[in-house]
Amino acid sequence: MPAETHVERSPLDREQVFDLVRDRLADILEVEPSTINEGDSFTDDLDADSLALIELAEALEEELGERSVGFRIEDEDLEDIKTVRDAVDYVLARL
Amino acid sequence: MLPVAIDAMGGDHAPAAIVEGARRAAVEIGVPVVLVGRPEDLDPLRGDLEVVAASQVIGMDADPGSSVRTMKDSSLVRAAEAVRDGRASAMVSAGNTGATMASALLRLGRIKGVARPAIATPIPVPGSTPTVLLDAGANAECQPQWLVQFAQMGAIFSRERYGIAEPRVGLLSIGEEPTKGNPLVKETHALLAAAGALDRASARFVGNVEGRDIMTPEVDVVVTDGFTGNVALKTLEGGMRSLVTAVIEGLSTTDVADAALGALLPLYTTLDPDQTGGAMLLGVDGVCIISHGSSSATAVVNATRVASEMVQAGVVEHLRSAVASA
Repeated sequence: MPAETHVERSPLDREQVFDLVRDRLADILEVEPSTINEGDSFTDDLDADSLALIELAEALEEELGERSVGFRIEDEDLEDIKTVRDAVDYVLARL
Repeated sequence: MLPVAIDAMGGDHAPAAIVEGARRAAVEIGVPVVLVGRPEDLDPLRGDLEVVAASQVIGMDADPGSSVRTMKDSSLVRAAEAVRDGRASAMVSAGNTGATMASALLRLGRIKGVARPAIATPIPVPGSTPTVLLDAGANAECQPQWLVQFAQMGAIFSRERYGIAEPRVGLLSIGEEPTKGNPLVKETHALLAAAGALDRASARFVGNVEGRDIMTPEVDVVVTDGFTGNVALKTLEGGMRSLVTAVIEGLSTTDVADAALGALLPLYTTLDPDQTGGAMLLGVDGVCIISHGSSSATAVVNATRVASEMVQAGVVEHLRSAVASA
């Protein structure tokens, strides 16, 4: 375990990360979580624009910052996050 | 009432003028306040006012989005968090307008159902209540449905701020006829003209208005996209400033200078930007007052007063009801 990482609980698995991303996105888009699938495109399927992605990044940083100090989603990386799966992969790679 | 969180580090005359305004607000109008900013800068100035510590300051020229995302310990972000977390009733800032908006948006969040928040700026109307102009700069490009929400929210603000029972809402265009305007204006006109569009806001759509109508008593709320709104706002501000300066200069050399300038003082006060009480960001889940960058202590007093009034009026709850989905 890296010395700079402070983990209060056991690490999140893929399903938990997806649940987190889906639930935060559902809040932002004001839709039912059950309507969001991992393969969905932010723009084509969910009608989520750049503002929604920034709001999602903020929400994830706030939620995950307690688990992993310094967890951050770089704004320049948001351009490459096209689908919900991309977001889940991005988060997992940085936890 | 919970204190109003005042960003003490934002603005051309921060922190001294902001802190002075905060202290005067607490004493003169009895509004509890808390300063947000760097303790080392505020301790010599604050008297018995409390400070919410924030080690960073977002500069007036900083990029709003990235600065709020990267400077999480900035006075603006901490002020918004104080409101979000129930430690403050409202936030006031004379700092970077875009960053103030981004802080409020990302920390307070949008009221459920609101697509985009908008900056509602009071435009003085001599002899009448101010016209609420929105969006005055939050969203450069807009969709028609957003403008409908701006109309609803602007009407609520006009009612709560100025006591207008049934605000008259106009859509800013290049002509009064519904056929005039760009595609955004034409589509928005159709939506606003539809039966019941503004019922939830107890407002009435009066059709298209032109720029010259903004400073008249003919309309209470003028709706437009943020780019056009900001151009209109700055044009009016610059025009009024030039005119007032020219009138004062023209009169000052005459024999009637004292009498004339004295008679014009009420008009000057009406047009004084420090007297408007700032603009309100409508659509975020909390009261956020944006004061202009060159705010004096008096401007801060007035902005704090407006923040307090909007909290007590429950304006956020009224906005929530007005934009709630059917």
